[in-house]
Amino acid sequence: MNRHNLGGEGRAVALPSPVVRERALVRLRDLASPVFFLGPAGLAVVVFFLVPVLLTLWIGLTDMSVATISNIQFVGAENYVRMLTARYTPRILQNTFFYVFTTLGLFNVGMGLAIALLTTHIEERAGTLFRTLWLLPRITPSVIYALLWTWATADAPFGIFNQLLSPLGVTSQNWLSTQPWAIVIAANGFVGASFSMIIFTSAIKAIPQDYIVAAKVDGASTWQIICRITVPMIRWPIMFVTAYQTLSLLTSFEYILLLTDGGPGFYRTEVWALHAFHRALSNYFGNVQFGYGAALAAVLVVIGIIASVAYLRIFRFGQMVAEPKIEVR
Amino acid sequence: MSGKRMLLSAIALVAILGTACGPTPTPAMKEVTLTAWTIGPDEPSYYRRDNLIAAGEALNKELAAEKANVRVKVEATFDTGAWGDFKQKFFLAAQAGTAPDIILSGHEDVAPWSDAGFILDLSDHIKKYWDKTYKDIIPGLWKSVEYKGKRWAIPQDTEARPMYFSKTLLKKLGWSDADIAALPDKIKRGEFTLYDLLTVAKEAQDKGVVAKGYGYWSRPRKGGDFYSVYFSFGGEMQDPTTGKLVVVKDALLKHFQFHYDTVFTSKTTPEGFIGKEWKDWHETVSKGDKVLFWNGGTWHWAEWTTKYLGGNEQHLWDNVGFALFPAGEKGKKPVTLSHPLVYMVTKSSKNPDLAFRLLTLATTPELNTKHAVNSGHLAILTTQITHPEYAKAKFLQQTAYMPEYAGYQPNHADYGPYDTILWTALSAVMGGQTTPEKAVDTVVKDLTAELKDKVVIR
Repeated sequence: MNRHNLGGEGRAVALPSPVVRERALVRLRDLASPVFFLGPAGLAVVVFFLVPVLLTLWIGLTDMSVATISNIQFVGAENYVRMLTARYTPRILQNTFFYVFTTLGLFNVGMGLAIALLTTHIEERAGTLFRTLWLLPRITPSVIYALLWTWATADAPFGIFNQLLSPLGVTSQNWLSTQPWAIVIAANGFVGASFSMIIFTSAIKAIPQDYIVAAKVDGASTWQIICRITVPMIRWPIMFVTAYQTLSLLTSFEYILLLTDGGPGFYRTEVWALHAFHRALSNYFGNVQFGYGAALAAVLVVIGIIASVAYLRIFRFGQMVAEPKIEVR
Repeated sequence: MSGKRMLLSAIALVAILGTACGPTPTPAMKEVTLTAWTIGPDEPSYYRRDNLIAAGEALNKELAAEKANVRVKVEATFDTGAWGDFKQKFFLAAQAGTAPDIILSGHEDVAPWSDAGFILDLSDHIKKYWDKTYKDIIPGLWKSVEYKGKRWAIPQDTEARPMYFSKTLLKKLGWSDADIAALPDKIKRGEFTLYDLLTVAKEAQDKGVVAKGYGYWSRPRKGGDFYSVYFSFGGEMQDPTTGKLVVVKDALLKHFQFHYDTVFTSKTTPEGFIGKEWKDWHETVSKGDKVLFWNGGTWHWAEWTTKYLGGNEQHLWDNVGFALFPAGEKGKKPVTLSHPLVYMVTKSSKNPDLAFRLLTLATTPELNTKHAVNSGHLAILTTQITHPEYAKAKFLQQTAYMPEYAGYQPNHADYGPYDTILWTALSAVMGGQTTPEKAVDTVVKDLTAELKDKVVIR
């Protein structure tokens, strides 16, 4: 080891050898690339996810409300105890799961897959036109889209539903009040289906034609080709859409807010995220309870994290992102 | 030095001397921007904004007369969206310290917003201008801006919520003109009750005068109007002595029962009624030819005239009548609900004194009358009653007696959760989700769990 005399006190300080320095530099260089590339994204995660989550957790442990905002008190787990003992908690939880999995199954995956399959099995231009039309709800502003549903489902003589259904003997009614779930799920689903429709269409189009041609030569019917070739080959996109849309639906409530506002009556269409919004931010006469709303939101974060981990395991995410076993040069 | 140069030098010298020896320069004039957020949501109420702008001109004249080196510029907005969104926008801004100088809202916001420190105590300011302006305010209205012994706001307007009826349809039902003309007084004397109203409404349906479900319509969405029924059965919301919130179980049961009966027993209100679009509601009731009885606000008269009848107020006089909300049962009193809107000065204001002076100058018989006549709201100043324009407004004159019968929503920080629990239960009753008895039980349990000793169950 080299020793150099530094300063008047005559103490010898050990300096690293060139080999060690070289290794440290290499290690630093190795670290620089991930930091450079992942840094901005990591920073975004910290600022827009981690910090809000920590703030939410903190607010959830206080009695913060409009009335107490100038004198916030730490209340420990009181908000969580209140949530667990609230009479409507089971109902709202049940609503949330019903809303998420019905919308997901019928529309966000089911209908999206059906449209993708149908439009890739018809003439190319007609398929493209159909898919383009289906995107209209997605590019329409939420408020206008919800308003269109409200008008369409209004009672006679205003709503088009009643105008079409009355001649068939269906009693005229305000559909949003009498069938709130059906309308809420359909309104959400028509938008949600367009997302999976695009993903599934591109996945179907990426399937090498050789498989289809070979199957046809072997005498397979279209249905058999869909069941045994197409769907198995797009299983990763199906899994991705299922996982992504579950989390998305868990936290989304804009159409419910605009259509039924969680009603009518005793929380008929109130989902967890909307309940948190109502408690924490929505105000008709006076006070809103930020503390209790934050505690509700914190539970949603936990549910989301559990669901994410579950999906990653069930769908074997590790296998999907593993290095290919065959290297093509 | 050339002649031209000499001339220029002389001019410069004179200018310098002139400046040095002239009068002391006035300090630079400062312009202060006062911001205000107001709301209808009914469109004819835009004088809530315009009166502040007019008051801004008056304030500048006063400031000029005082030789003050400040002038104001008023930037006021008028919202026609939903109340909930408007209030949400305000309290988010207030938390961020970016609220406007002045906010207009319902009196019930005085309690939570003062507790939150969003608005300023105006008691001393009001005292200062008492003789000049504020002693003119109708005394009963001060109660709506008081909380914890202080006055936090200035009343802007008030109104009544009458029971409207179709004269045309009552005539078709066989009522004489005299019977129809006598109905408001009969209601005032408590001789025509809410259940009498349902009986007549059902009769009109049975005889085909109105379609099924068109006998009686309440408002279609959440709002204070529903509490008229609760009050008409003797309900109370606040203990005047302790200030605690109150629920009278018997009145609450009757309130729920009445709404249940109108939907499911007499079927005078259609099933699935709650949630109906306001626009559809207005279009149906405003012509007075489809629904027999409906309740709304005095401001709706102006809204129907301008927005739905092309300015033809006479159509309303020919076809629509109005009265108090009938007593729930014989021996009880008729009621109406009043909901004064108030101007508040926010803590975010950098110029609270100027903001208050602006409000003082916006509180005049001329400006308030302009707003009242245009929008169907009632007088807040005693001198408005005799103001020539107000005296000419037939509808305002004929509804002037109603505030005497008015109930108010309470000024209490927890009125929001209280109202949500009562409203949720009522909408469940009207939606057939529960019975009136179970709904009362639910309300009592929910109120006790949520508000604990802040609410008294009687």
